[in-house]
Amino acid sequence: MPSSTGINPIPDCQITWIIGLLETLEDRGGRDDGYKIARELNFNFGDLLKVMKAAEILNLVSTPSGDVQLEALGRRFLASDINQRKLIVREQLKQHGLFNYLIRLLRAQEDHALTREVVLEHLAMVLPNEPPEALFATVVNWGRFAELFGFNKDEDRFYLDQE
Amino acid sequence: MALLELKHVEKSFVHPNGVLRVLEDISFSVAEGQFVAVVGPSGSGKSTMLRIINGLIPASAGEVLYQGRQVDGVNPEAALVFQSFALLPWLTVKANVELGLEARGVPPAAREKRAAFYIDKVGLDGFEEAYPRELSGGMKQRVGLARALAVEPRVLLMDEPFSALDALTAISLREELLDIWQSRDLPVHTIMLVTHIIEEAVELADRILVLSAHPGRLVADLTVELKRPRDRRKDSFNALVDKVFSLIEERG
Repeated sequence: MPSSTGINPIPDCQITWIIGLLETLEDRGGRDDGYKIARELNFNFGDLLKVMKAAEILNLVSTPSGDVQLEALGRRFLASDINQRKLIVREQLKQHGLFNYLIRLLRAQEDHALTREVVLEHLAMVLPNEPPEALFATVVNWGRFAELFGFNKDEDRFYLDQE
Repeated sequence: MALLELKHVEKSFVHPNGVLRVLEDISFSVAEGQFVAVVGPSGSGKSTMLRIINGLIPASAGEVLYQGRQVDGVNPEAALVFQSFALLPWLTVKANVELGLEARGVPPAAREKRAAFYIDKVGLDGFEEAYPRELSGGMKQRVGLARALAVEPRVLLMDEPFSALDALTAISLREELLDIWQSRDLPVHTIMLVTHIIEEAVELADRILVLSAHPGRLVADLTVELKRPRDRRKDSFNALVDKVFSLIEERG
Protein backbone atom coordinates (compact mmCIF):
# COMPACT_ATOMS: atom_id res chain seq x y z
CA MET A 1 0.00 0.00 0.00
CA PRO A 2 1.52 3.39 -0.98
CA SER A 3 2.12 5.73 1.91
CA SER A 4 1.81 9.50 2.18
CA THR A 5 5.55 9.76 2.83
CA GLY A 6 6.41 8.49 -0.67
CA ILE A 7 7.94 5.43 0.94
CA ASN A 8 6.63 2.16 -0.44
CA PRO A 9 7.26 -1.33 0.86
CA ILE A 10 9.16 -3.95 -1.08
CA PRO A 11 7.65 -7.40 -1.56
CA ASP A 12 8.96 -10.29 0.47
CA CYS A 13 10.89 -11.75 -2.49
CA GLN A 14 14.23 -13.48 -2.92
CA ILE A 15 16.74 -11.85 -5.25
CA THR A 16 17.45 -15.23 -6.85
CA TRP A 17 13.78 -15.43 -7.88
CA ILE A 18 14.11 -12.13 -9.72
CA ILE A 19 17.11 -13.43 -11.66
CA GLY A 20 15.19 -16.63 -12.42
CA LEU A 21 12.23 -14.66 -13.74
CA LEU A 22 14.45 -12.61 -16.06
CA GLU A 23 16.13 -15.77 -17.40
CA THR A 24 12.71 -17.33 -17.99
CA LEU A 25 11.46 -14.28 -19.84
CA GLU A 26 14.53 -14.28 -22.06
CA ASP A 27 13.82 -17.92 -22.92
CA ARG A 28 10.23 -16.98 -23.69
CA GLY A 29 11.01 -14.22 -26.15
CA GLY A 30 10.92 -11.38 -23.62
CA ARG A 31 7.25 -11.41 -22.64
CA ASP A 32 4.71 -13.86 -21.29
CA ASP A 33 1.62 -14.17 -19.14
CA GLY A 34 2.39 -14.29 -15.39
CA TYR A 35 -0.18 -16.96 -14.65
CA LYS A 36 1.09 -19.13 -17.50
CA ILE A 37 4.69 -18.86 -16.26
CA ALA A 38 3.67 -19.86 -12.74
CA ARG A 39 1.67 -22.83 -14.00
CA GLU A 40 4.34 -24.07 -16.39
CA LEU A 41 7.11 -23.78 -13.81
CA ASN A 42 4.92 -25.19 -11.05
CA PHE A 43 5.74 -22.05 -9.07
CA ASN A 44 3.31 -20.57 -6.55
CA PHE A 45 1.32 -17.84 -8.36
CA GLY A 46 1.15 -15.62 -5.27
CA ASP A 47 4.93 -15.75 -5.04
CA LEU A 48 5.27 -15.08 -8.76
CA LEU A 49 3.22 -11.90 -8.35
CA LYS A 50 5.69 -10.78 -5.69
CA VAL A 51 8.61 -11.52 -8.00
CA MET A 52 6.96 -9.55 -10.81
CA LYS A 53 6.35 -6.64 -8.48
CA ALA A 54 9.91 -6.75 -7.13
CA ALA A 55 11.41 -6.88 -10.63
CA GLU A 56 9.18 -3.96 -11.62
CA ILE A 57 10.34 -1.90 -8.62
CA LEU A 58 13.90 -2.45 -9.85
CA ASN A 59 12.82 -1.35 -13.39
CA LEU A 60 13.90 -4.70 -14.83
CA VAL A 61 10.45 -5.57 -16.16
CA SER A 62 7.08 -3.96 -16.76
CA THR A 63 3.77 -5.67 -16.12
CA PRO A 64 1.28 -4.68 -18.83
CA SER A 65 -2.16 -6.29 -18.24
CA GLY A 66 -1.16 -9.50 -16.44
CA ASP A 67 1.85 -10.04 -18.68
CA VAL A 68 5.41 -9.54 -17.62
CA GLN A 69 7.80 -7.97 -20.07
CA LEU A 70 11.57 -7.73 -19.99
CA GLU A 71 12.70 -4.10 -20.11
CA ALA A 72 15.98 -2.65 -21.41
CA LEU A 73 17.53 -2.63 -17.93
CA GLY A 74 16.49 -6.26 -17.45
CA ARG A 75 18.26 -7.19 -20.68
CA ARG A 76 21.33 -5.30 -19.56
CA PHE A 77 21.16 -7.14 -16.23
CA LEU A 78 21.09 -10.52 -18.00
CA ALA A 79 24.06 -9.62 -20.15
CA SER A 80 26.07 -8.58 -17.08
CA ASP A 81 28.27 -10.59 -14.78
CA ILE A 82 27.28 -11.08 -11.17
CA ASN A 83 29.13 -8.00 -9.89
CA GLN A 84 27.69 -5.71 -12.56
CA ARG A 85 24.27 -7.12 -11.67
CA LYS A 86 24.81 -6.09 -8.08
CA LEU A 87 25.66 -2.57 -9.24
CA ILE A 88 22.47 -2.33 -11.28
CA VAL A 89 20.36 -3.39 -8.29
CA ARG A 90 22.33 -1.02 -6.10
CA GLU A 91 21.63 2.00 -8.34
CA GLN A 92 17.93 1.12 -8.50
CA LEU A 93 17.62 0.68 -4.75
CA LYS A 94 19.25 4.02 -4.06
CA GLN A 95 16.30 5.62 -5.89
CA HIS A 96 13.74 3.65 -3.89
CA GLY A 97 12.04 5.61 -1.11
CA LEU A 98 12.51 3.02 1.63
CA PHE A 99 16.17 2.33 0.86
CA ASN A 100 16.83 6.03 0.42
CA TYR A 101 15.28 6.68 3.83
CA LEU A 102 17.44 4.00 5.46
CA ILE A 103 20.61 5.26 3.75
CA ARG A 104 19.97 8.78 5.05
CA LEU A 105 19.12 7.43 8.48
CA LEU A 106 22.36 5.44 8.69
CA ARG A 107 24.43 8.32 7.34
CA ALA A 108 23.11 10.47 10.15
CA GLN A 109 24.61 8.08 12.71
CA GLU A 110 28.17 8.66 13.82
CA ASP A 111 29.26 5.09 13.01
CA HIS A 112 26.77 4.67 10.13
CA ALA A 113 25.07 1.85 12.07
CA LEU A 114 21.94 1.09 14.09
CA THR A 115 20.61 -1.83 16.10
CA ARG A 116 17.92 -4.04 14.59
CA GLU A 117 15.41 -2.85 17.17
CA VAL A 118 15.79 0.80 16.16
CA VAL A 119 15.47 -0.07 12.46
CA LEU A 120 12.29 -2.06 13.22
CA GLU A 121 10.83 1.03 14.92
CA HIS A 122 11.59 3.15 11.88
CA LEU A 123 10.05 0.57 9.57
CA ALA A 124 6.91 0.40 11.73
CA MET A 125 6.70 4.18 11.65
CA VAL A 126 7.13 4.74 7.91
CA LEU A 127 5.21 1.62 6.82
CA PRO A 128 2.68 0.91 9.59
CA ASN A 129 0.80 -1.68 7.53
CA GLU A 130 3.79 -3.95 6.94
CA PRO A 131 5.06 -6.57 9.39
CA PRO A 132 8.41 -5.01 10.31
CA GLU A 133 10.37 -8.22 10.96
CA ALA A 134 9.62 -9.63 7.52
CA LEU A 135 10.35 -6.28 5.91
CA PHE A 136 13.64 -6.05 7.80
CA ALA A 137 14.66 -9.51 6.58
CA THR A 138 13.95 -8.54 2.96
CA VAL A 139 15.73 -5.19 3.30
CA VAL A 140 18.78 -7.01 4.72
CA ASN A 141 18.78 -9.56 1.89
CA TRP A 142 18.40 -7.04 -0.90
CA GLY A 143 20.80 -4.66 0.86
CA ARG A 144 23.42 -7.39 1.19
CA PHE A 145 23.06 -8.40 -2.45
CA ALA A 146 23.45 -4.77 -3.55
CA GLU A 147 26.24 -4.28 -1.00
CA LEU A 148 24.35 -1.25 0.32
CA PHE A 149 23.68 -2.56 3.81
CA GLY A 150 25.30 -5.09 6.06
CA PHE A 151 23.87 -6.75 9.12
CA ASN A 152 25.90 -8.47 11.80
CA LYS A 153 23.62 -10.54 13.97
CA ASP A 154 26.22 -11.21 16.66
CA GLU A 155 26.97 -7.51 17.12
CA ASP A 156 23.34 -6.50 16.45
CA ARG A 157 24.56 -3.98 13.94
CA PHE A 158 22.74 -2.87 10.77
CA TYR A 159 25.13 -0.69 8.83
CA LEU A 160 25.95 1.13 5.61
CA ASP A 161 28.15 -1.27 3.64
CA GLN A 162 30.02 1.15 1.40
CA GLU A 163 29.51 4.61 -0.06
CA MET B 1 44.81 -39.78 -20.84
CA ALA B 2 41.34 -39.49 -19.36
CA LEU B 3 41.06 -37.33 -16.28
CA LEU B 4 38.78 -39.85 -14.68
CA GLU B 5 38.10 -43.47 -15.47
CA LEU B 6 35.88 -46.15 -14.00
CA LYS B 7 36.62 -49.78 -14.86
CA HIS B 8 34.03 -52.43 -14.07
CA VAL B 9 32.96 -50.73 -10.85
CA GLU B 10 30.56 -52.70 -8.67
CA LYS B 11 28.92 -51.79 -5.41
CA SER B 12 26.91 -54.06 -3.15
CA PHE B 13 25.61 -53.54 0.35
CA VAL B 14 25.18 -56.49 2.68
CA HIS B 15 22.04 -56.41 4.80
CA PRO B 16 20.36 -59.00 7.06
CA ASN B 17 18.24 -60.45 4.25
CA GLY B 18 20.98 -60.72 1.69
CA VAL B 19 23.07 -58.63 -0.63
CA LEU B 20 21.82 -55.51 -2.36
CA ARG B 21 23.52 -54.91 -5.67
CA VAL B 22 23.60 -51.15 -6.27
CA LEU B 23 26.03 -50.74 -9.14
CA GLU B 24 27.00 -53.36 -11.69
CA ASP B 25 29.87 -53.26 -14.15
CA ILE B 26 30.13 -49.48 -14.56
CA SER B 27 32.83 -48.45 -17.01
CA PHE B 28 33.39 -45.04 -18.62
CA SER B 29 35.98 -42.33 -18.80
CA VAL B 30 35.75 -38.55 -18.61
CA ALA B 31 38.09 -36.12 -20.36
CA GLU B 32 39.08 -32.84 -18.76
CA GLY B 33 36.71 -30.01 -19.66
CA GLN B 34 33.57 -32.13 -20.00
CA PHE B 35 30.28 -31.44 -18.35
CA VAL B 36 28.78 -34.87 -17.71
CA ALA B 37 25.30 -35.44 -16.37
CA VAL B 38 24.28 -38.73 -14.80
CA VAL B 39 20.57 -39.51 -14.92
CA GLY B 40 18.60 -42.47 -13.73
CA PRO B 41 15.58 -43.39 -11.62
CA SER B 42 15.83 -43.71 -7.87
CA GLY B 43 17.60 -46.93 -7.03
CA SER B 44 20.05 -46.53 -9.92
CA GLY B 45 22.92 -45.88 -7.53
CA LYS B 46 23.86 -42.58 -9.21
CA SER B 47 24.60 -40.79 -5.92
CA THR B 48 26.54 -43.82 -4.70
CA MET B 49 28.60 -43.70 -7.88
CA LEU B 50 29.43 -40.05 -7.28
CA ARG B 51 30.62 -40.83 -3.76
CA ILE B 52 32.77 -43.68 -5.04
CA ILE B 53 34.35 -41.31 -7.59
CA ASN B 54 35.03 -38.80 -4.81
CA GLY B 55 36.52 -41.57 -2.70
CA LEU B 56 34.08 -41.14 0.17
CA ILE B 57 33.05 -44.80 -0.09
CA PRO B 58 34.99 -47.66 -1.67
CA ALA B 59 33.80 -49.72 -4.64
CA SER B 60 33.14 -53.40 -3.93
CA ALA B 61 35.00 -54.33 -7.11
CA GLY B 62 36.58 -52.60 -10.09
CA GLU B 63 38.80 -49.57 -10.30
CA VAL B 64 38.44 -45.80 -10.13
CA LEU B 65 41.36 -44.07 -11.80
CA TYR B 66 42.17 -40.39 -11.55
CA GLN B 67 44.80 -39.29 -14.06
CA GLY B 68 45.61 -42.93 -14.56
CA ARG B 69 46.18 -43.68 -10.90
CA GLN B 70 43.90 -45.58 -8.60
CA VAL B 71 41.97 -43.39 -6.15
CA ASP B 72 42.80 -44.37 -2.61
CA GLY B 73 40.69 -42.51 -0.06
CA VAL B 74 39.14 -39.10 -0.71
CA ASN B 75 40.39 -37.49 -3.92
CA PRO B 76 41.83 -34.07 -2.96
CA GLU B 77 41.25 -32.79 -6.51
CA ALA B 78 37.51 -33.43 -6.42
CA ALA B 79 34.86 -31.57 -4.43
CA LEU B 80 31.22 -32.42 -3.78
CA VAL B 81 28.15 -30.21 -3.74
CA PHE B 82 25.14 -31.67 -1.98
CA GLN B 83 21.38 -31.38 -2.46
CA SER B 84 20.97 -30.52 1.23
CA PHE B 85 23.67 -27.78 1.01
CA ALA B 86 25.35 -29.36 4.09
CA LEU B 87 26.08 -26.01 5.76
CA LEU B 88 26.90 -25.64 9.43
CA PRO B 89 24.13 -23.47 10.90
CA TRP B 90 26.30 -21.99 13.66
CA LEU B 91 28.90 -20.69 11.20
CA THR B 92 28.68 -17.59 9.00
CA VAL B 93 28.83 -17.78 5.22
CA LYS B 94 32.50 -16.91 5.29
CA ALA B 95 33.32 -19.55 7.91
CA ASN B 96 31.32 -22.16 6.00
CA VAL B 97 33.29 -21.42 2.83
CA GLU B 98 36.60 -21.57 4.73
CA LEU B 99 35.71 -24.89 6.33
CA GLY B 100 37.02 -27.13 3.56
CA LEU B 101 40.24 -25.13 3.38
CA GLU B 102 40.83 -25.49 7.08
CA ALA B 103 40.39 -29.25 6.75
CA ARG B 104 43.01 -29.25 3.98
CA GLY B 105 45.53 -27.37 6.07
CA VAL B 106 45.48 -24.07 4.17
CA PRO B 107 46.94 -21.36 6.46
CA PRO B 108 44.51 -18.67 7.77
CA ALA B 109 45.65 -15.76 5.59
CA ALA B 110 45.47 -17.81 2.38
CA ARG B 111 42.15 -19.26 3.53
CA GLU B 112 40.66 -15.83 3.89
CA LYS B 113 41.91 -14.66 0.52
CA ARG B 114 40.66 -17.71 -1.31
CA ALA B 115 37.27 -17.70 0.42
CA ALA B 116 36.84 -14.02 -0.50
CA PHE B 117 37.64 -14.79 -4.15
CA TYR B 118 35.05 -17.56 -4.45
CA ILE B 119 32.44 -15.71 -2.42
CA ASP B 120 32.77 -12.98 -5.03
CA LYS B 121 32.57 -15.48 -7.93
CA VAL B 122 29.24 -16.92 -6.81
CA GLY B 123 27.70 -13.52 -6.05
CA LEU B 124 27.79 -13.75 -2.27
CA ASP B 125 29.67 -10.50 -1.67
CA GLY B 126 27.82 -8.71 1.09
CA PHE B 127 26.61 -11.99 2.67
CA GLU B 128 29.91 -12.92 4.38
CA GLU B 129 28.64 -12.49 7.92
CA ALA B 130 25.15 -13.90 7.33
CA TYR B 131 24.16 -17.20 8.94
CA PRO B 132 22.56 -19.96 6.85
CA ARG B 133 19.23 -19.40 8.61
CA GLU B 134 19.09 -15.86 7.20
CA LEU B 135 19.49 -17.14 3.62
CA SER B 136 17.10 -18.37 0.95
CA GLY B 137 17.70 -21.82 -0.56
CA GLY B 138 19.34 -20.25 -3.59
CA MET B 139 21.80 -18.32 -1.48
CA LYS B 140 22.51 -21.43 0.63
CA GLN B 141 23.42 -23.42 -2.46
CA ARG B 142 25.70 -20.58 -3.60
CA VAL B 143 27.51 -21.05 -0.28
CA GLY B 144 27.74 -24.80 -0.95
CA LEU B 145 29.16 -24.04 -4.40
CA ALA B 146 31.66 -21.47 -3.09
CA ARG B 147 32.83 -23.95 -0.46
CA ALA B 148 33.40 -26.64 -3.07
CA LEU B 149 35.14 -24.22 -5.49
CA ALA B 150 37.36 -22.79 -2.76
CA VAL B 151 39.35 -26.00 -2.48
CA GLU B 152 40.14 -25.46 -6.19
CA PRO B 153 39.17 -28.92 -7.40
CA ARG B 154 39.78 -30.07 -10.94
CA VAL B 155 36.54 -32.03 -10.83
CA LEU B 156 33.33 -30.70 -9.37
CA LEU B 157 30.91 -33.45 -8.34
CA MET B 158 27.33 -32.32 -7.84
CA ASP B 159 24.65 -34.52 -6.29
CA GLU B 160 21.18 -33.23 -7.26
CA PRO B 161 22.32 -29.68 -6.45
CA PHE B 162 19.13 -27.98 -7.64
CA SER B 163 16.53 -30.62 -6.81
CA ALA B 164 15.56 -29.12 -3.46
CA LEU B 165 15.04 -25.67 -4.98
CA ASP B 166 11.97 -24.07 -6.52
CA ALA B 167 11.88 -23.57 -10.31
CA LEU B 168 12.93 -19.92 -10.45
CA THR B 169 15.85 -20.47 -8.09
CA ALA B 170 16.99 -23.52 -10.05
CA ILE B 171 16.82 -21.61 -13.37
CA SER B 172 18.97 -18.88 -11.95
CA LEU B 173 21.57 -21.19 -10.39
CA ARG B 174 21.88 -23.36 -13.52
CA GLU B 175 22.80 -20.29 -15.54
CA GLU B 176 25.31 -19.24 -12.92
CA LEU B 177 26.85 -22.72 -12.86
CA LEU B 178 27.33 -22.60 -16.64
CA ASP B 179 29.01 -19.20 -16.29
CA ILE B 180 31.38 -20.64 -13.70
CA TRP B 181 32.12 -23.70 -15.81
CA GLN B 182 32.86 -21.54 -18.86
CA SER B 183 34.88 -18.98 -16.92
CA ARG B 184 38.57 -19.28 -17.78
CA ASP B 185 39.94 -17.83 -14.57
CA LEU B 186 38.70 -20.74 -12.45
CA PRO B 187 40.63 -24.00 -12.15
CA VAL B 188 37.59 -26.28 -12.44
CA HIS B 189 36.69 -27.28 -16.00
CA THR B 190 35.17 -30.69 -15.40
CA ILE B 191 31.77 -31.20 -13.84
CA MET B 192 29.84 -34.35 -13.10
CA LEU B 193 26.27 -33.68 -12.10
CA VAL B 194 23.79 -36.27 -10.86
CA THR B 195 20.15 -35.40 -11.42
CA HIS B 196 16.77 -37.04 -11.85
CA ILE B 197 15.57 -34.03 -13.86
CA ILE B 198 16.16 -34.94 -17.50
CA GLU B 199 15.61 -31.39 -18.80
CA GLU B 200 18.36 -30.23 -16.44
CA ALA B 201 20.80 -32.77 -17.89
CA VAL B 202 19.95 -31.82 -21.47
CA GLU B 203 20.25 -28.12 -20.72
CA LEU B 204 23.63 -28.31 -19.00
CA ALA B 205 25.68 -31.28 -20.13
CA ASP B 206 27.94 -32.19 -23.05
CA ARG B 207 27.28 -35.80 -22.35
CA ILE B 208 24.60 -37.79 -20.52
CA LEU B 209 25.16 -41.13 -18.83
CA VAL B 210 21.91 -43.02 -18.33
CA LEU B 211 21.70 -45.58 -15.54
CA SER B 212 19.07 -48.26 -15.01
CA ALA B 213 17.82 -49.20 -11.55
CA HIS B 214 18.22 -52.28 -9.30
CA PRO B 215 21.08 -52.65 -9.98
CA GLY B 216 22.45 -49.52 -11.60
CA ARG B 217 23.91 -50.33 -15.00
CA LEU B 218 25.13 -47.95 -17.64
CA VAL B 219 22.51 -48.27 -20.39
CA ALA B 220 23.42 -45.29 -22.56
CA ASP B 221 26.19 -42.77 -23.05
CA LEU B 222 24.87 -39.89 -25.15
CA THR B 223 26.68 -36.87 -26.56
CA VAL B 224 24.63 -33.68 -26.43
CA GLU B 225 25.22 -31.82 -29.69
CA LEU B 226 22.80 -28.93 -29.02
CA LYS B 227 24.37 -25.47 -29.31
CA ARG B 228 24.61 -23.27 -26.23
CA PRO B 229 22.75 -21.37 -24.92
CA ARG B 230 20.15 -24.09 -25.21
CA ASP B 231 16.53 -23.31 -25.80
CA ARG B 232 14.08 -25.53 -23.95
CA ARG B 233 11.34 -24.69 -26.41
CA LYS B 234 13.16 -26.12 -29.43
CA ASP B 235 12.10 -29.43 -30.95
CA SER B 236 15.68 -30.74 -30.91
CA PHE B 237 15.81 -30.10 -27.14
CA ASN B 238 12.56 -31.92 -26.51
CA ALA B 239 13.49 -34.77 -28.82
CA LEU B 240 16.57 -35.44 -26.72
CA VAL B 241 14.59 -35.20 -23.47
CA ASP B 242 12.13 -37.77 -24.87
CA LYS B 243 14.96 -40.04 -25.95
CA VAL B 244 16.57 -40.02 -22.48
CA PHE B 245 13.17 -40.49 -20.89
CA SER B 246 12.41 -43.54 -23.02
CA LEU B 247 15.83 -45.06 -22.23
CA ILE B 248 15.04 -44.78 -18.53
CA GLU B 249 11.49 -46.07 -18.95
CA GLU B 250 12.59 -49.15 -20.90
CA ARG B 251 15.23 -50.24 -18.48
CA GLY B 252 14.08 -48.70 -15.21
